[in-house]
Amino acid sequence: MLDIAALIGPGHELAVLFGTFSFLLLIGTPVAFCLGVSSFATIAYIGLPPVVVFQRLNSGVSIFALMAIPFFIFAGELMVRGDIARRLVALAGALVGHFRGGLGQVNIMASVLFGGISGSAAADASAIGGLMVPQMKERGYDADYAVNITVVSSIIALMLPPSHNLIIYSISAGGKISIADLFTAGIIPGIVLALSLMVAAWIVAKRRGYPLEAFPGGRAIIAMLIAATPGLILVAIIFGGVRSGVFTASESSCIAVVYALLITFFVYRSLSFSEFVLAVKGAVRTTAMVLLVIGCAGAFGWLLAYLRVPAQLVAFMQTISDNPIVILLMINVILLFLGTFMDMSPLIVITTPIFLPVAIAFGIDPVQFGIIMVLNLGIGLCTPPVGAVLFVGCAVGKIPVWTAIRTIWPFYFAAVFTLMLVTYIPALSLWLPAAFR
Amino acid sequence: EMTLRSSDTHPDGYPTVEAVKYMGEQLSAATGDKLCVEVFHSAQLGEEKDTIEQTQFGVIDLNRVSLGPFNNIIEETKIPSLPYIFRSTEHMHNVMDGPVGEEILAAFEAHDLIGLAFYDGGSRSFYNSQKPINSMDDLAGLKFRVMQSDLFVDMVDALGANATPMPYGEVYSSIQTGAIDGAENNWPSFESSGHYEVAGYYTLDQHLIVPEVLVMSKLTWDKLSADDQAAVKAAAKASVPVMRDMWAAREAASEEKVRAAGVEIITDIDKTPFIEAMVPVYQKYVTTDKLKDLVTRIQATE
Amino acid sequence: MQQFMKKVARVLAIVARIALWVSGTGLVLMTAFIAWQVWGRFVLNDTPTWTESSAVIIMGWFIFLGAAVGIREGYHLSFDVLLYILPDRVKKILYSVSDITVVAFGIGMMYYGYLLAEKTWPSTIPNLGFSGGIAFLSLIFGGFLMVIFSLERLARRACGLVTARFGETELPEEDL
Ligand code: NA
Ligand code: NA
Repeated sequence: MLDIAALIGPGHELAVLFGTFSFLLLIGTPVAFCLGVSSFATIAYIGLPPVVVFQRLNSGVSIFALMAIPFFIFAGELMVRGDIARRLVALAGALVGHFRGGLGQVNIMASVLFGGISGSAAADASAIGGLMVPQMKERGYDADYAVNITVVSSIIALMLPPSHNLIIYSISAGGKISIADLFTAGIIPGIVLALSLMVAAWIVAKRRGYPLEAFPGGRAIIAMLIAATPGLILVAIIFGGVRSGVFTASESSCIAVVYALLITFFVYRSLSFSEFVLAVKGAVRTTAMVLLVIGCAGAFGWLLAYLRVPAQLVAFMQTISDNPIVILLMINVILLFLGTFMDMSPLIVITTPIFLPVAIAFGIDPVQFGIIMVLNLGIGLCTPPVGAVLFVGCAVGKIPVWTAIRTIWPFYFAAVFTLMLVTYIPALSLWLPAAFR
Repeated sequence: EMTLRSSDTHPDGYPTVEAVKYMGEQLSAATGDKLCVEVFHSAQLGEEKDTIEQTQFGVIDLNRVSLGPFNNIIEETKIPSLPYIFRSTEHMHNVMDGPVGEEILAAFEAHDLIGLAFYDGGSRSFYNSQKPINSMDDLAGLKFRVMQSDLFVDMVDALGANATPMPYGEVYSSIQTGAIDGAENNWPSFESSGHYEVAGYYTLDQHLIVPEVLVMSKLTWDKLSADDQAAVKAAAKASVPVMRDMWAAREAASEEKVRAAGVEIITDIDKTPFIEAMVPVYQKYVTTDKLKDLVTRIQATE
Repeated sequence: MQQFMKKVARVLAIVARIALWVSGTGLVLMTAFIAWQVWGRFVLNDTPTWTESSAVIIMGWFIFLGAAVGIREGYHLSFDVLLYILPDRVKKILYSVSDITVVAFGIGMMYYGYLLAEKTWPSTIPNLGFSGGIAFLSLIFGGFLMVIFSLERLARRACGLVTARFGETELPEEDL
């Protein structure tokens, strides 16, 4: 059985840690400071030198591989401001607009195309949502349907390479899991997710009687394909570079920035200097926020290791069941629960050192576990009370959160269904990396 | 009663981790369970550079680290980290078990650390995917991955090859695709990383035979009674031969696996030109009289 | 009092803008360094060894400065469901408790950042030659700005001015 007394510690160290953390979270302290201050308080309570908190904070953000995050976010900002995203949406429209649920399918397809160059679900929701939701409303689709699809399909961006959340996972696991393998492993689950969502979109559209779009013809498709080609080449550079090992993830994300700059400045001529400054500022704001959370979570995670939480959790789970199916289900339920009220990157940093040893002890491949984790926490981004992507989606659709979540269930169901497939069919994530090797 | 927390970057079961555990058992027995040791393996408490700072501040008590991260802090540690300074593993053992080793251990105290013992870290040699390397000429122009370290970069450049700093996790696919030609490491790492699957030539030039070190926080050390301090020193020394045996066994197992995979192993090379090429490197790193003296004494040791 | 805080806001707005510009320049420099590293490896066949460590140091500056500005502009993620059901007066007290803990954390960043810089000053960063203590300067400076901006929030709230909050309140144009 779980020895609660031992887990809390003779001096209630864990109670202090989680108590302070929850209190600060509830009174609205930014997540980064909830993590940092609760670690600070607990270290002081134990009587260790508090310097370790700030050392973990500093080393937590001084990792070369982390640099991919500002670069991918920066590249995403440039693509949205420099017209690359709009061309991808146009291409998606030509490809799948004539299916049942027309613009809903286009929205999902656009997330596949854009998600291939952006690693951020929030960027996807604001870029695709900003372009698609007004169009959909205009053509007689209900706002809630447009927002639901925008929100849930943005999880695709997390699964398809590049995904900076998979980089965060690799770093949280000690930097020993190949980023190239993780990127490759996400492709099939990402496509399965897109297909599940398309089915859900089809069913809902049929029930609500949404219109069909006309097929634009092969010639139009080719024209839009050509217009979108520079964007698609970016996908090839990023994925090809990392996969082949010619570039590190940080280098290839930097090349993505340089390439996006060249295309938007010189080919599309769509980016003015003031737009460029806005893109830099936008990237700085988002990244500083995400990386401060990661740094503070570094201190929090250090304390968890010091207090032996992962080791005890492994021992505890072994007493419950020795069946990997049950263990994976438990981990999934816990992560889904945590994901409803916390954001993705801090949860990856905090829970990877706890759950990965459990998963490995039960014979689960760390690469597959990373995909499970990112998909699972990605669903959390779309759920209240804390769901950054849900908020973004509702903001671009100009509808209250409550209106959106009343009818979002078919899409949640499709996402959770995909999560179960990825959890229990290892080949979905592991076959492709093995084939590439 | 006191639990000494110890950090190690290697996973559970690795010789260094097991050696510190053995040391803890010896210490518990010697002090009647007054002192015991708990090892946090797999870099749970941070990478080596970070855990060194934590040990200096007394956050953790013991730390098993390689000498590399100390090179820029404690100058004496640069000497055993020099290329071709040791003729063989046996030579390294003789030096580090003797007065030179004691002198280097003593140098840690000025940096709030107590040097307890030296462990084996294996001997590093070059492997590549292109050709068997028998001489300096064969090295010319080849791209070798090295760690982020000035010394490694200078050494590889001095040998006429091309040093490419790169994270460890990228090496396998980079060799496979030809982005680099090879890397350098010891038997166990060459095997466990799977690099032998893509790099078919391993030349045992043993350019680096660098020991690793077990240190204690001076803050913790000062809290101990003289008897307990002696017990800690004795337990650390007792763990050294145990560690060396485990390391040798592990090296042999890795070598067998690599040989079975058909990797061409080049053993008999004339190392003299390699050593002569190191003159500028030694000039750059062996700067003070104290360091020159250490080098001379190491070379004079049997 | 409000008038005085308005003047303070004008000064701190400039400080925040400078910090954001430094951060943005850092991001552009990082891009340039890493692009140069790739260029060096593939085109010049000579990998520069200083790019990686210097880009990592710049990253520290841009994160801590950017995060400090985030306190003033209120773009940090937070979770405040509890607060919706509480009366306004209690809410303001809790926000102030939260800001005070951030001040404490910022002071910690400055003080312990200083200790770390001091302890690591004699070491050098591989391939760069700078003192190892340099890496902690951004921690100290970022902590300082966090303290300043949090104190501003406390003072503004005390005299009845708005403070920025993610997804809720934005600072008025003239205070930005
Ligand atoms: Na993506
Ligand atoms: Na959520």
